[in-house]
Amino acid sequence: MAARHLIIGGGTAGMNAIRTIREEESERSTITLVSAEKPYSRMVLPYYLDRSIAESHVFTATAKVLADWGVTPHLGKRATALDTTANVCTLDDGATVEYDDCLIATGSSAVRAPVPGADGRGVHSFWTLDQARGVIAQIQPGSHVVMVGAGFIAFTILNSILALGAKLTIVEVAPRILPRMIDDTGAQLVEAWLTKHGVGVRTGAKLTRIDDVKGRLRLKMAAGGDLVADVVIMATGIRTNLDWLKSSGVKVNQGVVVDDHLRSSVPNVYAAGDVAEGPDLLSQANAVHAIEPTAQEHGRVVGANMAGKDVRYRGSLIINIVEVCHLDVASFGAWDDARAETASGVRADRPAYRKLLWKGERLTGAIILGPSSDIWTTNDVGMLKGLVQSGVALGRWKAHLKKNPFDIKPAFIATKTTSMLLPETILGRPSKAPGETPVAV
Amino acid sequence: MSVLKIHPEKCTGCLRCELACSYMQTGEFQPAKSVIRVAPFEGHTSYAPYTCTQCAEGWCMTACPVGAITINAVGAKDVLDDRCVGCKLCTIACPYGTMFYDPATRKAFKCNLCGGAPACAEACPTAAITYEDVTTEDWLGDFARERTARVLAGAS
Repeated sequence: MAARHLIIGGGTAGMNAIRTIREEESERSTITLVSAEKPYSRMVLPYYLDRSIAESHVFTATAKVLADWGVTPHLGKRATALDTTANVCTLDDGATVEYDDCLIATGSSAVRAPVPGADGRGVHSFWTLDQARGVIAQIQPGSHVVMVGAGFIAFTILNSILALGAKLTIVEVAPRILPRMIDDTGAQLVEAWLTKHGVGVRTGAKLTRIDDVKGRLRLKMAAGGDLVADVVIMATGIRTNLDWLKSSGVKVNQGVVVDDHLRSSVPNVYAAGDVAEGPDLLSQANAVHAIEPTAQEHGRVVGANMAGKDVRYRGSLIINIVEVCHLDVASFGAWDDARAETASGVRADRPAYRKLLWKGERLTGAIILGPSSDIWTTNDVGMLKGLVQSGVALGRWKAHLKKNPFDIKPAFIATKTTSMLLPETILGRPSKAPGETPVAV
Repeated sequence: MSVLKIHPEKCTGCLRCELACSYMQTGEFQPAKSVIRVAPFEGHTSYAPYTCTQCAEGWCMTACPVGAITINAVGAKDVLDDRCVGCKLCTIACPYGTMFYDPATRKAFKCNLCGGAPACAEACPTAAITYEDVTTEDWLGDFARERTARVLAGAS
């Protein structure tokens, strides 16, 4: 009998797993997809918000594509329990799906600040397509939007809100913006840049409640200076969707704990993406990396392993980039490692900033900030990733970079980083183009 | 497949490749919009053009959340403008620094081998860039290592 694969979750991890199973398998298997939503990409929702793309652009697989790939979909259904002894998954409509192996790729959900009024009318999250639709319907030119939280998600939609002609104020409880993406110096530069571009920023500001006052929203702040908004967006973090696994017997820590093949404590159950706690490239310790590139790599590795290949995942690298009013802000790897040896350079007038972190001769983390129009920014963004990813020994270039932290290019080329990177692939073979997935005949 | 083979010792630093590339890719003679970039060495006494290797993994292509990067007829990773939303994920996923972003169009762009007739190779007067059916490799590493020795001597 053909192998029966069950994919739970139709996000980036799940869809990459499905494609890779079809690419790698030698015998045609059956694939069932259980997904609470139609498959789409969360990464591109900000571009739907500013109407630079149509809603149809966000979908990663239409019903026809799923049919072409030979996938049996259960869309609009949530998995509610996993019986790993009987190999059966129960859905919220009571249906059950039997499997030979399964992938847990149920992602994460937006959480709101625990204050009165946080679930009221006019207060939104921006995480799912449905939530994006809700926000789009509310923002008009001249609207005052208050964003609660100044993390990565808030920053991905900042440009879109401004592009819609809204006035924006950001409120962050931490003493600075982007606390989990850049350091103090970088945050100060970005904050000054935002202020220059007319965005209100309040850091160290604790929200205590939200009241609906005659159709507008009043945000009561602990230190006074209340704000009145037309739309409130809660970008106050995400939570891994793990609750449904309680009685499954699958080992869970911050996420589903997986090995270097992305197998959970139950051998025929894999996990991938935001829900997985898998190996980190640099430390090899397990960690949840709730970022798009990790979901993609996880999904492909699981897909190959489900298809009978033996693919070891060498670990994921934290990489993040946001563009803030034409200023690129990116960080890589262990950029916040307080014990690392560091060097940095600031050009406040551009603004431009580089911070490099070392362990011995290897670069283990980096922060980069610079104008999007500056070719050295994009050049260095990729090369810094390459230096951290390859772990190339920088030798005497380390001393040079400590003095000249902007001089990434010659260091990258002369240390032969390219020759280290060229043989690297995630699946041990060249990648196929998105349209090359084999279809059912 | 044919790839761009770089012969750094032949490069004179004339930047014709950058002009030809930007014109072919964007319709403008503007080195800042070229996806091949000439790097200077030894205080601008030697030069080498640097561009996409068309690597096997295709980090840009696999990272793209909407399938906007594909493999074109000559085997190059190529951005589909009508699919690209400009999220820049490819620019941090590419470990070579050869994915670019145009703020004017809000699209990513990269070397697509000009669909099989690379303008840079055609424009190069010294054949420092050739388009050949060879396996891609690190064409610049040894050259750059040798030509940066003096910079490093100053740093230590």
